[in-house]
Amino acid sequence: MKVVATYNIKGGVGKTSAAVNLAALAAADGLRTLLWDLDPQGAASFLFRVRPKVRGGGRKLVRGRSDITEVLRGTDVEGLDLLPSDFSYRHMDLVLDESGKPIQRLRKVLAPLGEHYDLAMLDCPPSISLVSESVFDAADTLLVPLIPSTLTLRTFEQLGEFLDEVDRRPDVLAFFSMVDRRKRLHRQVVEALPAGRGDIAAAIVPAATEVELMGVDRAPVVVRAPRSRGARAYTALWAELRERLGL
Amino acid sequence: MTLEVPTHAFALPEGVDPGALLSYLGERFEVAADPPTSVTYTVVDTADRRLGATGLDLALEGGRTGNVLVLRDGAGTPPVTGPAGRHRRWLVGHLPKGPLRERLGPVIEMRALLPLARVQVDVQALRVLNADAKTVVRMRLATHAALDTGPEPWPLTPRLEVTGVLGYPRPLARVVGVLTSEAGLVEPPSTMADEAVAASGGDPGGIRSKVRVALRRDDRTDKAAVRVLRDLAGMVEANLPGTLADYDTEFLHDLRVAVRRSRSVLRELKGAFPPDELARQRAALKWIQSITGPTRDLDVQLLDWDHLLTGVPADRHAALVPVRTLLARHRAAALRALKRELRGPAYRDAWASYRAFLDGKLGPAADRPDAKRPIAEVAGRRIRKVHARMVDMGAGIDDTSPADDLHELRKRGKELRYLLEFFGPLWPDDVVKPLVKSLKGLQDVLGTHQDREVQAGHLRELADELAGQVGGPEALLVLGVLVDQLEAEQRAARGQFAERFADFASKQQRNLVRRTFAG
Repeated sequence: MKVVATYNIKGGVGKTSAAVNLAALAAADGLRTLLWDLDPQGAASFLFRVRPKVRGGGRKLVRGRSDITEVLRGTDVEGLDLLPSDFSYRHMDLVLDESGKPIQRLRKVLAPLGEHYDLAMLDCPPSISLVSESVFDAADTLLVPLIPSTLTLRTFEQLGEFLDEVDRRPDVLAFFSMVDRRKRLHRQVVEALPAGRGDIAAAIVPAATEVELMGVDRAPVVVRAPRSRGARAYTALWAELRERLGL
Repeated sequence: MTLEVPTHAFALPEGVDPGALLSYLGERFEVAADPPTSVTYTVVDTADRRLGATGLDLALEGGRTGNVLVLRDGAGTPPVTGPAGRHRRWLVGHLPKGPLRERLGPVIEMRALLPLARVQVDVQALRVLNADAKTVVRMRLATHAALDTGPEPWPLTPRLEVTGVLGYPRPLARVVGVLTSEAGLVEPPSTMADEAVAASGGDPGGIRSKVRVALRRDDRTDKAAVRVLRDLAGMVEANLPGTLADYDTEFLHDLRVAVRRSRSVLRELKGAFPPDELARQRAALKWIQSITGPTRDLDVQLLDWDHLLTGVPADRHAALVPVRTLLARHRAAALRALKRELRGPAYRDAWASYRAFLDGKLGPAADRPDAKRPIAEVAGRRIRKVHARMVDMGAGIDDTSPADDLHELRKRGKELRYLLEFFGPLWPDDVVKPLVKSLKGLQDVLGTHQDREVQAGHLRELADELAGQVGGPEALLVLGVLVDQLEAEQRAARGQFAERFADFASKQQRNLVRRTFAG
């Protein structure tokens, strides 16, 4: 099972949209896919109309005291299951800290799922904390959405420097997210990027109404409007990611 | 850890309109209907239906980028797919590397996957929603028709498949409850693949290699023998097209086994048949066995090739390529000769005459002393005699005996094995089963001994021809290693002989055989 985590230290950059749409595309390609909504805000769970049943289930799960199969939920996308968000993920740092070997914890929770899934997509909360370190440890690839701005590349490089110090460094793939071609700055940043950089995807996800409407439709844009600009961008990004993962 | 989601299949009773069922479901549940689809697919399985027997369902379907093979296991796990490529049949090596090959390889082994039936299916997918408008149960109402069965598609039983969604067991239970207790739907009597294969003129169980004839102890021997022989003749006929098309090696193998078993019945129950006609038919079957032999011998050699290589250091494998090429060339030539024979008038006449013999009158019983005797008496006598003969022969075998002695014993063993297979059910299981088991143990050793003898002989014969090939001299050197390995395996088999034989010929076993098959 390959593990991909969508991550950015900042919120509102398109992490959940990417996680949800890429997971749906993976499932449509026949890969047995799991989406783990690690964000206490639970946007991914909301999008899939899944209500977490038991408060505190996530806490038990991370501590290894509950049966993961009881928390998994099938989604409206065939082949895609969801590990829903739980409000207790708010205190995940504390929970991890209380468990032995906190950094390896998420990898350990995921391990028994390996025989059931080809791909696990982790939708992470925005922060840099014990949770992110545990995510870095569990992930094969870190997928980083970047909104074009003057500091974008600098922040991305800082992430790289941080990752150089972790024990198990994941592969990193960034992509431009919520790109608005009408904004000069967006165009400049995207165009200024040296061609052929291996760690930034060629696919660019636009700032598009249909992507924003996901919260209203409560369905991935690749399912609801597969021919839209947004859906085509995720499809191109998925093709790059899939090749990178060797799936 | 299990994550399987249950699937329930229901057959729509005759006369129930699929549309009416949809309205019925709509009245009871919040149901969303997806746009209807219609596809044509091909049921794919081995000739002996190995996939069907293990609950797997393989279909050839049209995909966006060409045909794909889709494997479903009926347990609710997502299907495994892979590009089908351009093949008229799929051996393991033709399947795309990855999950599809990994799942199918161990099941099909050396058999080819073949298109067995074409089906058109109209599907109405439905989803039962909960209060959040989330899918909690999936349903597929499928109306199938077998194609290529005549001028019109042949309608098959419409089905409703109900699949749960992980984490939502209660809605599934509710839907299944309504469908079974309220609507009275029942599970379909057979799988869709079985139904389609049957509608297309095939046997849903696949081509059998086991005789299935129910006999009674007091059946007349001639009648019982003919029933067994007709069943076997059916297997020869069923395997002939696949042999000629060379789909896989097992068509020829099963054809040969059926012929060998037929010869065995004719020999062991010879007193039930008119002597002259019997001699003629036995000669005809012997001829069929002889023309099919060379190809099968080379098949064994090639099927065993990977095993043989295990005894050769990996860096020497390349040197053996010319050997394998030569074997493949010989096999192709042998197959050409075999096809010529099987398509020629001699075979056609011989088989027609044999069929007429089985289907016609056998003549006055006066010429056939065992004809009217109960089969249990005649077969029991033969089982006892062949067992006693094997005990005598085996007792005379020691480490210095020629390989031929072991081969002769093995041939007798086959006779006994077939007698027990066809007529064993007339006696209690607790006697027959242990006897079959000890016999099998012995035959395995004798089989390995003989196969290695033949294989080593074949390889030695290749030496001259090989010397003139590119890379031949190097191959010759490594060929020696192969022959050594075969001889070592033959010696090992021989080393096991005494123990296996002692088990087979134990005093207890001998007494049991004498008592049980006393006639």
